[in-house]
Amino acid sequence: MIKKAGAFEIINHWVMAISCILLAVQGYGFLFHIEGIGSAFGGFNSMKTWHNYLGIAFSVSLFFSIFMYLKEALTFDSDDIGWITVLGGYLSHKVKVPPMGKINTGQKFFYLAVLIFGIGISASGYVIWLLPGNKQYILLSHIVHNISFVILMIAIPVHIYLGTIANPGTLRIMLSGTVPYQWAKKRHPKWVAEVERGHKA
Amino acid sequence: MARMGILVSPELCIGCRACQVACKSWNQLPGDKTVNRGGFENPPDLTPHLYNKIHYLEVPAATDVQRWLFVNQRCMHCDDAGCMKICPSPGALYKTKEGAVGINKDKCIGCKLCVAGCPFNVPRYDEKDKISKCHLCYDRIANGLQPACTKTCPTGALKYGDRDGLIGSAQKAGYAKVYGQTDLGGLGALYAFKDAPKVYGMDDKPAIPETVVFWHKVLKPLSYIGLGGVVAASLIHYVAIGPHKEKEEEEKKNG
Repeated sequence: MIKKAGAFEIINHWVMAISCILLAVQGYGFLFHIEGIGSAFGGFNSMKTWHNYLGIAFSVSLFFSIFMYLKEALTFDSDDIGWITVLGGYLSHKVKVPPMGKINTGQKFFYLAVLIFGIGISASGYVIWLLPGNKQYILLSHIVHNISFVILMIAIPVHIYLGTIANPGTLRIMLSGTVPYQWAKKRHPKWVAEVERGHKA
Repeated sequence: MARMGILVSPELCIGCRACQVACKSWNQLPGDKTVNRGGFENPPDLTPHLYNKIHYLEVPAATDVQRWLFVNQRCMHCDDAGCMKICPSPGALYKTKEGAVGINKDKCIGCKLCVAGCPFNVPRYDEKDKISKCHLCYDRIANGLQPACTKTCPTGALKYGDRDGLIGSAQKAGYAKVYGQTDLGGLGALYAFKDAPKVYGMDDKPAIPETVVFWHKVLKPLSYIGLGGVVAASLIHYVAIGPHKEKEEEEKKNG
């Protein structure tokens, strides 16, 4: 077995995942006036309080994620271009996917999207919450909040699908943080090589 | 029931502000502490405790030194109301059967988005962070009475009645175009203006902010079409292409 995620990274990801899902459910409740969702959080008044404080949890976990994934997500080489040309092998199990580092090209793009639109949805949320006096700021924040919401609601289900049933065994990274050596070597060979070089040195 | 409305005729207004007083009296609103700014307009703007007020305007006139205009300002009770469109809490803002935009403070969540959605800068927030604005005396009109402001107006500058009837009477009185007749689906507060709306301190073409319209027409549907689309695509992928299993490795290990 080989360690892919540490305890702090696992906890941080769960904080983000749970807050994000609850925030999204509340978002649909607010958008479409769904009384059932409002009731589940104790009415729309208390749902707004929940929404504000879960937003803090989400944005804090987003902040910590920067130190975990940003550097890797901004590192691109020719293998990433190869990955894009075969669409990551997602549409066929027969194609040969170029060797990947700790996170693959799709995960890099996903992380960058979550970071950009996560910052968008968090910052605009804080403006609506804390600076309600300025009409222009509120209108801008309202549209940024909702554009980010639409994009995250497309990106995150794909991430959940690929991290669970589409790739059986992947979810254990979020549970124990360790993955089988063979699995890692097949899917993230450049990362495994890096880890082994580090051990030797 | 027929849509009801208020017809405001600034040319008939004498600026007595009895409408402001009557509103405060009926709705039990406290007075606002203000300072003498050297004019009659007081308070200077709508407040959480001031649902309607007279705006005093001095404009140049052809024959006299100046022309004094008194324009009653309030919630316009839009048919297509920006505040209702943007409000995330069901029932906080609602339409009464007379066509007024009512408020329910218990359901207001204090987000203040309605302030940004209103084309007329009307909603205010009270000290409990709840929306506060003219509700056309929903409790009076539901019982066949007229709003406190129109009831008390001594000159007929404020008239309450059947909206179509008010438009008809204004046209008969010589006002070819009534302000608010068609804007935002038709306003509940109509204005009989002699000159361009700008002269009276009103927007020529009031409209809900474009970003709010875009959000309502495009982003709201996209938020569930996008989610539904990727969930469906994932299911199709799972069935058609299938999960990426580590069969070879398992076989190697076991064999």
